[in-house]
Amino acid sequence: MAGESNSLALPLLVISPSDVSRLSRELEALDDYVHQASLRKGGEAVKLPRTSRMLDELATANNFNFLQAHDRKAAKAFLEHIRKESPVVTMSFAAEPSSAFLAKVITWLRQNIHPALLLRVGLQPTIAAGFTLRTTNKHFDFSLRKHFDEQRPLLLEKLQKAGAK
Amino acid sequence: MTIWWLILVLATIGAAGIAFIWLAVRVGRGGASQKSELPYADAAEKDVEHIFNDQFREELRNRGRLHFEKIIGENAMFLQQDLRLTTSQLNEYMKDEITRKLKEEFAKYEESIMDAKQLAIDSIQKTNTAIDEQRQMLSQQLTTQLQEEKTRLLGNFENNMADVVNHYVLAAIGNQIDLSDQLEYILTELEENKTAILEDIQSGG
Repeated sequence: MAGESNSLALPLLVISPSDVSRLSRELEALDDYVHQASLRKGGEAVKLPRTSRMLDELATANNFNFLQAHDRKAAKAFLEHIRKESPVVTMSFAAEPSSAFLAKVITWLRQNIHPALLLRVGLQPTIAAGFTLRTTNKHFDFSLRKHFDEQRPLLLEKLQKAGAK
Repeated sequence: MTIWWLILVLATIGAAGIAFIWLAVRVGRGGASQKSELPYADAAEKDVEHIFNDQFREELRNRGRLHFEKIIGENAMFLQQDLRLTTSQLNEYMKDEITRKLKEEFAKYEESIMDAKQLAIDSIQKTNTAIDEQRQMLSQQLTTQLQEEKTRLLGNFENNMADVVNHYVLAAIGNQIDLSDQLEYILTELEENKTAILEDIQSGG
């Protein structure tokens, strides 16, 4: 099962652990719906309810047919595996990032760091520009605030020169 | 010669004896003549009642009274003069004494007032000196504290000046830089730190 999960792909729309949890709940609800429908009308074709775009992407990316019970089961196992095993990093920006921006960032992360990496997005207006990245054990600060702090001696020198004139 | 001298002395002594005897005889004769005058005294005593009769005595009494009154008057006048003189002298004395005493008392009083005044002046001068010293000390303390506060504020300003500028710049440009414009920078930074991120991810939690 673990090997099967490793071969599956996580769509770019699924970014954060909360997205994974949301997908799991939706999949669970879908599974319940199909099961109840099969009990009411045995032998008849079941029409799926309207699903979210993320779930559609998941199905498309992994060729799942959620009418099939084993596909739903595989998807649930995959999502459970992702929830438990995937690395999570947190990136904070000065403003709320757009979906396109996040898609580009998560693409790079999954191509270069880990294919099932999840990204938790934070908001820190005080950093002005740039971003901060927190991994499991480290914290990287690539913000403009940090850059200003590092350049503080230079700023002091310039200010003192300006004051001496 | 000596015999002559002796004879001369004996003759002198003899002559003196003779003279003494003559004198003794002469004095004895005098007592006899006094006895002859006694009848005049007796006659006077017997006739005194005729001379000092009542009229004569009254006249003598009047004369004596007048004389006595005169003497009394003169003495009274002298006494009055003496009394006036004494009173005048006493007045002068009392006046002088009182004046002297008053002058002494006034002098002592003035001296006491001067001493009290000097004491008050000394006390005021000491108080003024203490107040001046206190004021000077307070002024120095205030100046020192102001200088320290000024130095501290300047130090704080200089220390925090960079933070102030940083804060101002960050606040000014905080929302002005679009995230899309930062994408290239973000991806570059991620690429530069890719190894560190990978190591941390692979090492696990």
